[in-house]
Amino acid sequence: MRETRLWSWHLLVIPIIIVLLGLHFAIMHYAPVFYGVSVEEARNFEAMIERGKSVAQLVLYILLLAAALYHGLYGLRGIIRELPMTPALGKIVDITVICVGLFIFAFGTYVTWWTFSYPVGG
Amino acid sequence: MNSNKPAYNNRLGIKGWVYAGKYTFERYLYLGHRLTGMGLIAYMLLHIIETANRMRGVVAWEGLMGLFALPLFKMIEYALFAAAVFHALNGVRLLMTELGFFLGRPKEPVYPYSSSIKRHRPLTYIIMALAALIIILGGSSLFFP
Repeated sequence: MRETRLWSWHLLVIPIIIVLLGLHFAIMHYAPVFYGVSVEEARNFEAMIERGKSVAQLVLYILLLAAALYHGLYGLRGIIRELPMTPALGKIVDITVICVGLFIFAFGTYVTWWTFSYPVGG
Repeated sequence: MNSNKPAYNNRLGIKGWVYAGKYTFERYLYLGHRLTGMGLIAYMLLHIIETANRMRGVVAWEGLMGLFALPLFKMIEYALFAAAVFHALNGVRLLMTELGFFLGRPKEPVYPYSSSIKRHRPLTYIIMALAALIIILGGSSLFFP
């Protein structure tokens, strides 16, 4: 039952990732096509800070971070757990993946929050 | 009972990803899905660390963005885009299979057999053609804006 629930979440986050990653690509990598500004303009420090001050961006990026990390690390865990290993080693893999995921999520959230709270004119 | 015994014997290990007898087109898409998935998660972890460079200030950030404007990094960026498009669209195909769409109705196993994989194959070709189209268009936009 636990594995079924984890697998269901793995599938449920797919639409979130497709929509938000699509937006991320459009803004950061295909700005000339979608917004009529050069990639360099879209990526300069002021533009990046200005975008980061939006509450919508703060929420959506944290959501994308959580969804992509869960989807990616769950998939990676599945690949590793397919290899021959003892149940004890399997448990260590699970715990390591959870710790890496939580650490990266906390760090990514901190960076996103740092951008959101960057002082105007600072 | 030995509790340290693996649950099953994955005799071929990673070698089995590539070849373990006659593999179909879908099996190679599965291999591509795995490889792009691992590449994307590895990149994602690096990307989070790399974008944190903004906290070191304007000069550090602009220096990094200058580096990413080099042709080598443009190529890497394009490879990532291609991997993401392939992984996403193949993932949509897998999701539809998982949910039982486009597999046809169950049939009596009468020769010549028509497997659900064969019935699903036209959709596979359409989705892969769409992925190829998006990858080509994405490349033209990235390199010739």
